[in-house]
Amino acid sequence: MTTPDSRFLTEFRIAETTGSAMHPARRRHTPTRRVRRKGFPPILTILLLTMLLLEPALAIAQDTPPTFDDVSAAASAARAQGDLPRAIDLYQQAVQLNPQWPDGWWYLGSLQYGTNAYAPAAGALTHYIDLTPHAGPALALRGLCEFEEGKYPESLQDLQQGISLGAANQPKNAGILLYHEALLLTKAGRFEEALGQYTLMVKHGSVNDDVITGIGLAGLRMPIFPQEIDPSQAEMLLLVGRPASQVMSGDLPGAHRSFLAVFDRFPTTPNLHYLYGYLLFTTDPDQSIAQFQEELTVSPTSAITHAMLAWAYGMRGEYVADLPNAQKAVQEDPSLPMGQLVLGRAMVETGDVTGGLPHLLAMLASDPQNLEAHLALAKAYSKLGRAEDARRERLECLALSGQGAAPNATM
Amino acid sequence: MQRCKALFFFLLCCAAAFAQSAAAQSRSTPPLPGKGPVTCASCHRSQASTQPGTQMGRAMQLPGDNPDLVAHPKMTYQRGAYTYEVVTRNGQSQYSVTDGTHTLSLPILWAMGAQAQTWVVEHNGQMYESLVSYYPTLNGLYLTVGDDTLAPKTIEDAIGRPLSEEDAKTCFGCHSTNAIVDHKLDLATLKPGLTCEHCHTGAMEHLKSEIKGDHSNDPPSLADLSSEDISNFCGRCHRSWELVVRAGWKGPSNVRFQPYRLANSKCFNGADPRISCIACHDPHEKVVRDVTYYDSKCLACHSPALEAAAPTSPPAKTCPVAKSNCTSCHMPKVPFPGGHFVFTDHQIRIVRPNEPYPN
Repeated sequence: MTTPDSRFLTEFRIAETTGSAMHPARRRHTPTRRVRRKGFPPILTILLLTMLLLEPALAIAQDTPPTFDDVSAAASAARAQGDLPRAIDLYQQAVQLNPQWPDGWWYLGSLQYGTNAYAPAAGALTHYIDLTPHAGPALALRGLCEFEEGKYPESLQDLQQGISLGAANQPKNAGILLYHEALLLTKAGRFEEALGQYTLMVKHGSVNDDVITGIGLAGLRMPIFPQEIDPSQAEMLLLVGRPASQVMSGDLPGAHRSFLAVFDRFPTTPNLHYLYGYLLFTTDPDQSIAQFQEELTVSPTSAITHAMLAWAYGMRGEYVADLPNAQKAVQEDPSLPMGQLVLGRAMVETGDVTGGLPHLLAMLASDPQNLEAHLALAKAYSKLGRAEDARRERLECLALSGQGAAPNATM
Repeated sequence: MQRCKALFFFLLCCAAAFAQSAAAQSRSTPPLPGKGPVTCASCHRSQASTQPGTQMGRAMQLPGDNPDLVAHPKMTYQRGAYTYEVVTRNGQSQYSVTDGTHTLSLPILWAMGAQAQTWVVEHNGQMYESLVSYYPTLNGLYLTVGDDTLAPKTIEDAIGRPLSEEDAKTCFGCHSTNAIVDHKLDLATLKPGLTCEHCHTGAMEHLKSEIKGDHSNDPPSLADLSSEDISNFCGRCHRSWELVVRAGWKGPSNVRFQPYRLANSKCFNGADPRISCIACHDPHEKVVRDVTYYDSKCLACHSPALEAAAPTSPPAKTCPVAKSNCTSCHMPKVPFPGGHFVFTDHQIRIVRPNEPYPN
C-alpha cells in the first residue's frame, strides 16, 4: 500500500538528488531573479477584462464556501500538475478546514521543504507527526528541515528517530539521511558514531568527495561542518578520508598503502594513527594497538587514544596493561565518557570492584544507553553479590542489544 | 608442616629428575628411569588420568588419531552441484569436493570437536573451515553449523568458509593448547585438545620451578575464583554472558553458550559458589549424564532446611513437584537448530508449556 510518506519520499529524494543535496553548504536556495517590466502586459489586461465580465457569476459561486473535498482535490491536482505554490496554498486551506487530515499536513510540509520554506515545513510535519506518531520519513524530513534552520540537536534527534523507524530503508534516502546524521554527529563531537554512519554509507556505495571529506573531519576529530573547513586543510581531509573509506569498504591492503603515504606526508598531524587504529579494531586488533601506540608518540596526551588502547588491551583480557592507560585517559580528560568506562571496567577486572562502580556510573550519566557500561556494571554487581542489581543491568543489556528481553521478562 | 609434606612428596615424584640436573630442566623433559617424563601428571595424577578423555581434552584431533574418521573410512554428501567425500586410509584423511568437472582434494589437517567434527583444510595458503561436518547422530556428513546460508559459486567457495587470522585464532585458541603465542597463531607450538596449561596459566613455569625445588611458583588457583569470574573464565571458549550479548546472538542456537544461559537464570549470583560452573562440573572429568547426580547441586540452595534457616533473606524456593531429577524439568533439552544434536539449557527456570525459547 502506498502511503503519503512513501509517495513523498520519492519526491524529496528527487529534490535532494537533483540539487546539491549532499552538501549542506550548497543546498541554500538561490532566489529566482524577478524580472520587472514597465506597463501592463497584454495577457493580464485580457484576464482582467474577463474577470470583470464574469464577476456576477463568481460572486454567486463565492456565496457557497468551498468544501474540504473540493479544496483537497484541487490541492492534489495542483500538486500533480507541479504547481507547487498553488498546491501549498490549497493544502494550507485544506488543513484549516480539516486539521485532522494527516495527508494534508504531510504534503504541505513536504512541498514547503521542496521550496526551502524550512520553518513552515517543520511546523506542518509536526502536525503530521502528532497525528501519525511513528512516521519515520516525516521525522527524518523534519530533521532535515531543522538541519537547515540550524537547530542541530533537534535535527539529530529527529533524524535518528526517523532512521530507526525505517526512513533510511531506501538506498537513496539512506545516503541523504545518514550523511546529515554523520555531519551532525561530527559537529557534536561524537566522532566514532559518525564514522559508523559513514561506514554504512560506504558499504551502500554512497561515496563521493563530500562523503570523503566528512570522513576526514570525523576521522581527525574536527567538530565542524564541511563549509567551515579552512581551505588550507581541504586537501588533507580528502587525503585522510580516502584511505579511511577504503578500510570501510574492506580494501584493507589498499587502505594500508594509502595510510602509509598519508602518515609520511602528515607525520605530526594528531589523530591520524588513532583513526587507522580505530578502523582496524574489529578486524585486526593487534595492528590496532600498534597504531594507538604510534598515535601516543605524536599526541602523548590524547585521552581518547589512551582510552582506546586500554579498551583494546581489555578486549584481549590484558587488564594489567589496561589499567594504566585507563588511568591516564581519565587523568588527561576526566570529562571523556570513554575514559570513565575503561577505567571503571579495568578496576572491576583487576579486583577493585567497588572503586570501579563510580566511573561506570559516570559513564552512564553521560550516556544512559551505553551497552558496554551496562555490561561492566552487570559484572561488577554480580561480583559483589548484588544479584538483583546485576539482574536489572543484565535485563537492560538485553533490551539495549535487541536481544528481546523486556524489563519484566522472565529470565 | 604441610609445606614439608608437599616438598617430600614432590621430591619422591621427581627424585630422578633432580639426578638428571640440567637435562631434566630442558623444555622437553627427558624420561625418568622407570617412571617416564616429569609432567603435570607426575604430581596431579588423578586429574591427568581423566582429563585427556574429556570432551575438552579431545576438542581437537589429528587425522591419524581420529577414531571417528577411522570408523567411517568413506563418507559422502551431496549439496546442490557439489559432491563431498571424506576418505580415510592409512592414517590420512582426504576432504574432496567436486562439481563433476573440477575436483579439489585436500588433506584434513585438524579435526575440531570431540563429537561432531568440523575440519580445517588448507588451499593455496588459505585455511578453510569445511563446508560439511561429521555428525554422530547422522553417522555421516551434513552441512557445518552456520554455513547453511553459504551458496558456493566456485569449487574454491565450495571448500567452505575461509578463515581470517582472527577466525583461526578463535578456533585454534579454544580447540588446542599453545596455539596462540604473543597474540599470533603459531601452529608449530600447538598441542591438540586442551591440556593443563590451556586453563592453568603458568603451569609449565610451575613445573620447571618445582623441578628446581622452588615451590613458590604456583599457578593462580581457579578454584578460588568467584562464580562470576569462573563463568567468564570458562566463557572465553564457551562464550561469556557479555560476549553473547555484545554479539547479539539470539534464538535457540545460543543454547550452546552455557555461561550465557546460566547467567540469565534467576538464581545466578556471581558471588555464590553454589551456582558456579565448577559447582556442578569437574573439568577434569567427563560430563556426568545422570540427572540424579545434579540433584544435590540444586538442593544445596533449594532445600526446605535452608529455607527455614534463612528467615531474614528471601530463601531459594523449594520445588512443590519433586525433590529429584531437578534438571529434567528445570534445564530442558533444546535441539540445536540444524546441528543434529541436543543441548541442556543452562538457563535454569520454571518452564511453562508452549513458552517461546527465552533469549
